[in-house]
Amino acid sequence: MTIPGFLVRNAFRNKRRLLLSVLGIAVSMFLLVTLMVVLRELTQPPNDGGSSLRITVRNKLSLANPLPARQLPIIEKIPGVEAVMPLTWFGGKFKEDEPLMWPQFAVDPRKFRKIFGEIRVPEDQYEAWVKDRTSCIVGRDTFKEQKMHIGQKLTFLSGIYPCSVELTIVGVYEGSIDDRVVWFHHAYLDEALGDWGKVGDWWIKATNTETAAQICPLIEAAFANTSDEVRAESERAFQLSFVSMWGGIKLLIGGVSTAVLVSLLLVTASTVSMSIRERFRELAILKAIGFQRRELCAFILAESFGLSALGVVFGAGGAWLMSRTMDIKSLTHGAFVSFEVTPQMLGTAALAAAALGILSSVFPAMSVARMSVVEGLRTLD
Amino acid sequence: MPPIVTIRSLSKVYRQGEMEIAALDNVSLDIAQGEFLSLMGPSGSGKSTLLHIIAGIDRPTSGECRVGGVGVTELDDSQLADWRNQNVGFVFQSFNLIPVLTAYENVELPLLLMDLNGTRRKELVHTALELVGLADRARHLPKQMSGGQEQRVAIARAIVTDPKLVVADEPTGNLDSASAEAVLEILRTLSSKAGKTVIMVTHDPRAASFGSKTIHLEKGRLLDVA
Ligand SMILES: Nc1ncnc2c1ncn2[C@@H]1O[C@H](COP(=O)(O)OP(=O)(O)OP(=O)(O)O)[C@@H](O)[C@H]1O
Ligand SMILES: [Mg+2]
Repeated sequence: MTIPGFLVRNAFRNKRRLLLSVLGIAVSMFLLVTLMVVLRELTQPPNDGGSSLRITVRNKLSLANPLPARQLPIIEKIPGVEAVMPLTWFGGKFKEDEPLMWPQFAVDPRKFRKIFGEIRVPEDQYEAWVKDRTSCIVGRDTFKEQKMHIGQKLTFLSGIYPCSVELTIVGVYEGSIDDRVVWFHHAYLDEALGDWGKVGDWWIKATNTETAAQICPLIEAAFANTSDEVRAESERAFQLSFVSMWGGIKLLIGGVSTAVLVSLLLVTASTVSMSIRERFRELAILKAIGFQRRELCAFILAESFGLSALGVVFGAGGAWLMSRTMDIKSLTHGAFVSFEVTPQMLGTAALAAAALGILSSVFPAMSVARMSVVEGLRTLD
Repeated sequence: MPPIVTIRSLSKVYRQGEMEIAALDNVSLDIAQGEFLSLMGPSGSGKSTLLHIIAGIDRPTSGECRVGGVGVTELDDSQLADWRNQNVGFVFQSFNLIPVLTAYENVELPLLLMDLNGTRRKELVHTALELVGLADRARHLPKQMSGGQEQRVAIARAIVTDPKLVVADEPTGNLDSASAEAVLEILRTLSSKAGKTVIMVTHDPRAASFGSKTIHLEKGRLLDVA
């Protein structure tokens, strides 16, 4: 027999208690790692630009410079691109008037809903808009403020392009961060400008957050060294709202994780100290035989360390296995995309387990160190 | 030959609030090498206390205790632990053995603290188990043995490091007379054949009669030296 062998034998003394303790630690560690993964999923996207599925592509030289319409099929072929739509700011005003405070944009109505999924328009109004080349939909705020009505005609003179458009209101939308815009057909603008063949920006929807992060450089590369180089960016406004929205949840998850760790520490500490209390007499006999105080303390530390180590291996390992084997993305209906257990999380869990092992053995070790042999022999006598 | 244990004016006082209890009151005693000393006396007379101080697991309030020329009372805790490992074998009344270890492993335990290789350890454990007549029970766990066998394993563990001194606190207290006799016989052999000094606390005059000498304690004082 060796000292480590002796320790293992001691650890397996009460198999049911060992199993339950390890299970308890494992479940908590599993929870901890899962919370870390969730936290990462929530916070990482806004930091790396992957949160937004929406990407804008603009002329690299200046925002005012338009892009050629022939870029469309090239962008559509880039992997990870789900939809591409032109978007051109019309900068319109009513005749002779000051520029309007509510903007008008020319877009492709057939792709509009794919890219601005949050915008809500009654189905029949949306269909009417798609069908009628000279129709438009208006944001609820502007519609109310200007006391507009369905069927009303609006004539805008562009402050940017040498043309005007006459639009018919066929619908009212809401649900965007800015419900003031007039959306109309890009095809109509093309026509008004005499087969213009250009667009202001391209707006893209990526298939998922992961590809969204990868698409931007691909798009820029596709038009590098052409006469129309582009800059592709994910949508900032969306990101900002995302960050502020998750701030509270971050705090909540941090709090829950702390609570999990604290309760785990309390339970483990009481388990360890109970199992040591039961063995006071034995430990006293070991002391009498000649084992040093520091050796006995090391035994206790090793035992509680081993307990935590087993727990973290099963718990964090289980979380890792789950992230590897289960299709979290479809299980959560796309709420969690990558659900990755990083080495850093495993490290954090291991560190937490190490701290647990040390902290839960401090008091039992101290009481054993302080115990005199005679005092220890008296227990159970 | 000089005595192996020399005790001079040894006192142990427990303070409980205002009260002072003298567990040992000015005890002086010599114990010769190879002696099998029986320590008798009523409950609470200080037998265990005296035994504990001689064995280096308790400290006196005042007085001196030398074992084999070493001033046991002057060693610090860590030195004392090493000294016990090499010089004293312990047998207690009950629950002596580590329940998760086999007889063999229990006997091997004190050897783990010594600088010995596996082969040498094996030899020593086997010799000790043979001496108590339990070589065939080496693989048994304590709960698979009778009380008498357990006590004999405890004796094997006490002598495996070849200490000068074996102390036993009521080693037959929980045993039937046949088992007790076997244990006492082994202790007697240790002193008469192996030259070990054995100090045994007992309530039982018949057990005491196995010893080469009996002393009596009462209220912490030594009575006659028979
Ligand atoms: N930790 C302690 N605190 C206070 N008093 C103690 C303590 N330990 C022992 N005593 C007292 O010291 C005296 C001697 O105790 P000791 O255990 O040596 O007696 P004993 O002769 O071994 O008795 P027994 O035959 O019952 O084992 C007793 O009166 C006991 O109450
Ligand atoms: Mg006693």
